[in-house]
Amino acid sequence: MLIFPFILEFVISLTEWQPIYGNFWDAFGSVFTHKINQGVGYNYLITDEPRYLQALGRTVIISVISLCLEFVIGLALATLFLKKFWGKRLWFTALLSPMMIMPVVVGYTWFMLFQYNGPVNQFIGWITFSETNLMWLNTGHLAFIAVITTEVWHWTPLFFLIMLSGLNSVPENPIRAATVLGASNFKIFWTIILPNMKAVIIIAFVIRGMEVIKLFDEIYILTRGGPGTATETISLYLYKLAFEDFRLAYAGSAAFIVLIITVVLINMMLKPIRYQLVEGR
Amino acid sequence: MPESKFTPFNLLGLVAGLLFAVFPIFWMVSTSFKVRSEWVTSPPTWISERPTVDNYLTILAPHILLARRGGTDQGDEDFGGSKDDGVGGANADFLNRSAWPGIKGTVIISVCATILSIVVGLMAAISISRYRFGGNFTPFFILAGRMFPPIAIAIPFVIMFGPKVFDMTDTYFGLIVAYAAVTVPFSTWMLKSFVDELPQEIEEASMMDGYSRWGAHLKVTVPLIKGGIIATALFILILNWSEFLFALVLTYTEVQTIPVQLSKYFSATEGTLYGVQAALAMVSIIPLVVIGFFIQRHLVRGLTLGAIKR
Repeated sequence: MLIFPFILEFVISLTEWQPIYGNFWDAFGSVFTHKINQGVGYNYLITDEPRYLQALGRTVIISVISLCLEFVIGLALATLFLKKFWGKRLWFTALLSPMMIMPVVVGYTWFMLFQYNGPVNQFIGWITFSETNLMWLNTGHLAFIAVITTEVWHWTPLFFLIMLSGLNSVPENPIRAATVLGASNFKIFWTIILPNMKAVIIIAFVIRGMEVIKLFDEIYILTRGGPGTATETISLYLYKLAFEDFRLAYAGSAAFIVLIITVVLINMMLKPIRYQLVEGR
Repeated sequence: MPESKFTPFNLLGLVAGLLFAVFPIFWMVSTSFKVRSEWVTSPPTWISERPTVDNYLTILAPHILLARRGGTDQGDEDFGGSKDDGVGGANADFLNRSAWPGIKGTVIISVCATILSIVVGLMAAISISRYRFGGNFTPFFILAGRMFPPIAIAIPFVIMFGPKVFDMTDTYFGLIVAYAAVTVPFSTWMLKSFVDELPQEIEEASMMDGYSRWGAHLKVTVPLIKGGIIATALFILILNWSEFLFALVLTYTEVQTIPVQLSKYFSATEGTLYGVQAALAMVSIIPLVVIGFFIQRHLVRGLTLGAIKR
């Protein structure tokens, strides 16, 4: 079910076919005659279309920033949940709730919140004691922040859960020993807890990294990649290329490049946890 | 870890985190009960002063609204329509806003796709876990299907399902196949982690007692990991339920799903129908939250492809 699309995509990516050119099978046949355009799509995308490379870069920036934020917030919350306090079970469930909501709804919720007369501006107004009317979704940099906020809100709970299970598996005795010997909390955290959680942290980053580069639904709802191309990630760019401009062949080339990049990137990332995934029992 | 004391500073962090997590959900719930004039106000309305269920009626029972409007013969500005729109056009609009086609489509497609995905995934999981089918390559090749942007798969799917090739655009069957193809990596990996936990000796013993290979898997392995299969199925159901991209590019008029329908509650004359959107969003996430609550324990395992078990 997945291999055939790949082959098809590769073949399309070598042609210049567009739906208006008529039957696809004719185009398919033309591949085997003289009409094959030796990598025209690929050349075009890399040399003449800055939007493509910009979208790639933007995807990387969004991924890195939101992953780091999710990691820090998730770890902080997980540390809190090691302590005893009232109503822990309830707080826990409430904290997890964003994760269970579907991406489209998440997009809508934040779309409502980020309206220029929405509650986000009201909050900022309360803090700064002034009227705030930021056009969140219509201003380049602010839209970028909005997208990252949405992503962080949606997936911090997953980081929190993974970090919590990691923290729970850290052995107790070294920490007791360090406490007795008078190490500071920070030192304990840096030299005992973090090294012990290394594997878990890497897993969290790889898994979330795989997901975040595919980010589409939320941005599509929030800004449709706008204003202009300010929040256009690679998925959005491919979508526009294929289903708004109907340049399916170029989109095929673009998708194929993305595919190769991701496979290489993720193979690199997976290496340290390959053992855990295959043998981890 | 040794326990330390819970300080007021910690409480502050906890409350901040909780507010961040819960406020957007509260806002959606609140918006779904607001009357039309409160959807967009400045400053924003936090809790409606005239709470109404009209938003829910619009999507679930439009005929009640129609009847009400027919009775009083005036536009009700508290929901969808504005006061002076012609009754005919507005009525047609109301019927278009019913969520039932979307709900029906989502239920049919996600349930069938889940079953398909579980069947394929289970066979793949057993063959990988028990027979090391394809060595280390196969599991990672399957995982590859999960790595790149789904849009990269959607493009060939659109052509493949297009006219004169398979002609499956805008059909339930086409969407079911597409959804299943996308979720098989998840179901394979999650089921594999459950099969891995079951000692192989049990199957060997049952084969000694006279079961065939298939018999041993079907009558011993499957019942023993029943809980795992159910958890996986529910998890896959969540994924299928929320799938947006494939539904967006592979449906036009015949088949509708909730996520796509949600994105269509814009109208040229009336702007965004915030309240109606929020109501549909609430209706659509209730099953997800209930399921998510039940499989909370397995959620991490599913989302990390079985790498972390708790």
